[in-house]
Amino acid sequence: MIKAPRVELGDGEVMEHAVILVEDGEIVTMGQDLPVERGIPVIELEEGQVVMPGLVNPYSRYGMSGGGYNDSRPQVMASAELYPSAAYKVFLENGVTTVGQYPAGQGIPGQAVAVRPKGETAGAMIVEDSAYLKVVMRNSSSAKRNLRDGFKKADDHLKKVAKEREKFDKAQAKAKADKKKSKAVFVPPAADPRIQPFFDLREGKLRALVSIRNAASYAHLVDAVGEEDFEWHLRVPLTRDIDVFHVTEEVGERGCFVLMEPLITLVPGTLRQRNLPAEFERAGAKLVLLPRTDSKAGFESFLEDVGVMIGAGLDRKAAVRAITHNPASFMGLGERLGSLSEGKRANLLIFSGDPFQPDTKLDAVMLDGKFVSGDMDQ
Amino acid sequence: MHLRTNQQRRASRPTWLLMAASLFLAPTAFGVVSIDDEPAKEAGTEDEEDKEEILALVGGEIHTGLGGVLRDATILVRDGKIEAFGYDVDVPEEAEVVDVSGMRVYPGLIAVGSFGLFGSSGSLDDSVDPYNQNMTLALAAGITTAVEGNTVAKLKRGHVDGLVVNSAAFESMSYSNGNPQGQLKVEADLKGAADYIRAYRAWEQEKKSNKEAKEPSKKGVDQKSLRVLRGEVRPRFNADTRTDLLEIARLAQRFGFRPIINGCREGWTVADELGRAGATAIVTPRARRPKDESLLREGGSSIENASILYEHGVNVVVVPASRGISLGGIVGQDLLHLPVEAGFAIRGGLPELAGLRSITIEAARVLGVDYRIGSIELGKDADLIVTDGDLLHYQTFVQWAIVDGEIVYDKQAEMFFAHIRPRPETALAPAEKMDSGEEAPADAPEADPEGDSEGDSEGGDDEKPVTDEASGDGGGEEPESSEETAGESGD
Repeated sequence: MIKAPRVELGDGEVMEHAVILVEDGEIVTMGQDLPVERGIPVIELEEGQVVMPGLVNPYSRYGMSGGGYNDSRPQVMASAELYPSAAYKVFLENGVTTVGQYPAGQGIPGQAVAVRPKGETAGAMIVEDSAYLKVVMRNSSSAKRNLRDGFKKADDHLKKVAKEREKFDKAQAKAKADKKKSKAVFVPPAADPRIQPFFDLREGKLRALVSIRNAASYAHLVDAVGEEDFEWHLRVPLTRDIDVFHVTEEVGERGCFVLMEPLITLVPGTLRQRNLPAEFERAGAKLVLLPRTDSKAGFESFLEDVGVMIGAGLDRKAAVRAITHNPASFMGLGERLGSLSEGKRANLLIFSGDPFQPDTKLDAVMLDGKFVSGDMDQ
Repeated sequence: MHLRTNQQRRASRPTWLLMAASLFLAPTAFGVVSIDDEPAKEAGTEDEEDKEEILALVGGEIHTGLGGVLRDATILVRDGKIEAFGYDVDVPEEAEVVDVSGMRVYPGLIAVGSFGLFGSSGSLDDSVDPYNQNMTLALAAGITTAVEGNTVAKLKRGHVDGLVVNSAAFESMSYSNGNPQGQLKVEADLKGAADYIRAYRAWEQEKKSNKEAKEPSKKGVDQKSLRVLRGEVRPRFNADTRTDLLEIARLAQRFGFRPIINGCREGWTVADELGRAGATAIVTPRARRPKDESLLREGGSSIENASILYEHGVNVVVVPASRGISLGGIVGQDLLHLPVEAGFAIRGGLPELAGLRSITIEAARVLGVDYRIGSIELGKDADLIVTDGDLLHYQTFVQWAIVDGEIVYDKQAEMFFAHIRPRPETALAPAEKMDSGEEAPADAPEADPEGDSEGDSEGGDDEKPVTDEASGDGGGEEPESSEETAGESGD
């Protein structure tokens, strides 16, 4: 049981004088000024300390190695690359309790996996496989072809199956006419493994994360998607100056998740600053903030960087959502983690003060009800 | 961003309603999508809404590009086409009205050669960067259509489809004095094609009386030459020297086709021959090259080139020396200065109207797209520019550029020229500030952070519509006396 003077819930709201009861790695009860039963060990936090949900970084390759290809390989699973290593300790040390790891490469490199950065085996680390399909979109015919052809091949396969089915039915009818009893069961022709992800996209079993480079690639993405109806979100790297502000309105109207770094960028070719994360958030997009670089240094300065963005006009509540609840629900884990309420995993961080202040220390990290980092004794 | 925000917002509202309606009609279709699915899923409907937009430019001085000038007149654009223009135009209530009083409206300019306006190379439909700065700058120069490679495409900012107007602009031919073998080949090909056409016509006649007549064989006939002689395409030559020009003119007269001659530097010395050949010359008035002093006859470049060619019946098209947008090298002779380049042709004696035509309708003719663009005529594409003065004057700014009825450039909304001579208040009701980075949406104050607005600059201009609905004088106060109608002004 934790008694905390101040808890960031992850959805942007704050609960004061909260009591959190953790059992079996899960938050069992949570509320304001709840009576504390005797016999349960209580961690009483000091005034000024803040509890926050564990950070969720849905887009990282830290701890993985190797490169990828330039074509369409949507069947590739990042989980196949996964192995427990010391690298994952870095996530925990910096308060990241859930990580989305994606396969390397351009084109359509494959499917990401959501992991908890602790476990003896890769299997124990996996929280959810097929978290999303990574797609790289550029203003080039090859990038558009990757996407279009994927769905086209899926259509072709359906046609092929329908044809086989017809043949089979005919054969059955003939067998019946000949009064032969046949127990044949229709076996559809095997699909190319590269096709299945596109069926999954259509059926809503899989979501796509499309990495764009500029406003033009967004326009080409919309063109390439055309009438196809599937869930897609955007990865917009702000590591260099980018002109995506041209499409802020359209993206906001879609209301999709937008993954960005907490960086102030310049309008290309000028010295005009723009706070793109804040602009997209205001326009209606669901903001997800990522460390500035996918490295230890990036993780270490992450909360401070987010704090800078808040100072530059990003809504504070939105900023909290953008590093906890939003990335979790982007990966389809919003019901399980990313915020603090009854029934959620007990992934939480204890800070010495406001998490976004540079002098604040991360006192402890709890993953599934156990302290895994920091100097807090249970 | 710029203007489109306003249009889109307007367009998107009905879209949402539609979407909501469809949700009720077919609830199952949207059943199992995830938490974050908002109704605005399709982008397609938005485009359709855009197409329904009606745009009215009210109170401007309309230069049709064909000689007609209508002062204080109105242009009505519907579905991207010019629906009406003149003095008694009814502006529908739902029209987006732009008050352009005191300004001039011209057809959008056409650059018959360009590079870098559409972004990277490759298939234009799949690789265009419709937000790239060169495109915006070209629009700022008044260019609404340009040739990249051999493709004629529109500068449709923000769009990746519907740009290409003609994917085969030119049929290149080479006929130069420096390559006699090549010349013989061209002549032989043309002769073969001419013979074939003659034989074919004879056969057509004979067929009527004699059903057994054999159709002449196409074998060995050069297809390009055939298309040229049939008048399906006009061949384009690169030629500058007097000798080459003369030979091309004579070749054209001998075989009966109308050449397009790119360069044509010494054209002024053989203008009569070129005129007789029905040539079109693509010239750069400011090109400078001294004459070859080893020759006695006249030669070299002349500022009067365009003018002399024009006087002898050669159609003149003007392009700048550099076909890109550049601030290096020959400053002031790039695509940003296309109208200025035409102005220099006038400096050399070209009539003013011919100067305007040299970057509009004549360019469109050379590219075979004059049926759609190049002048302000009923039914043509609404590719228009609004300027604050004479187009060919160097101090003039393009205030708005319109492609297919959509405002794709607004000087005050882009950062490039907004600060230079800001648009006078009288021309536009809402005082617009230029686009400056971080914005605070005027219509969404609830989304604003409580006290976090410090730090970044506050531009917040984008939202302001350019339309001037408040003034309400659209079409009302035009002088009714003039009987000039839209149709008459053509040609």
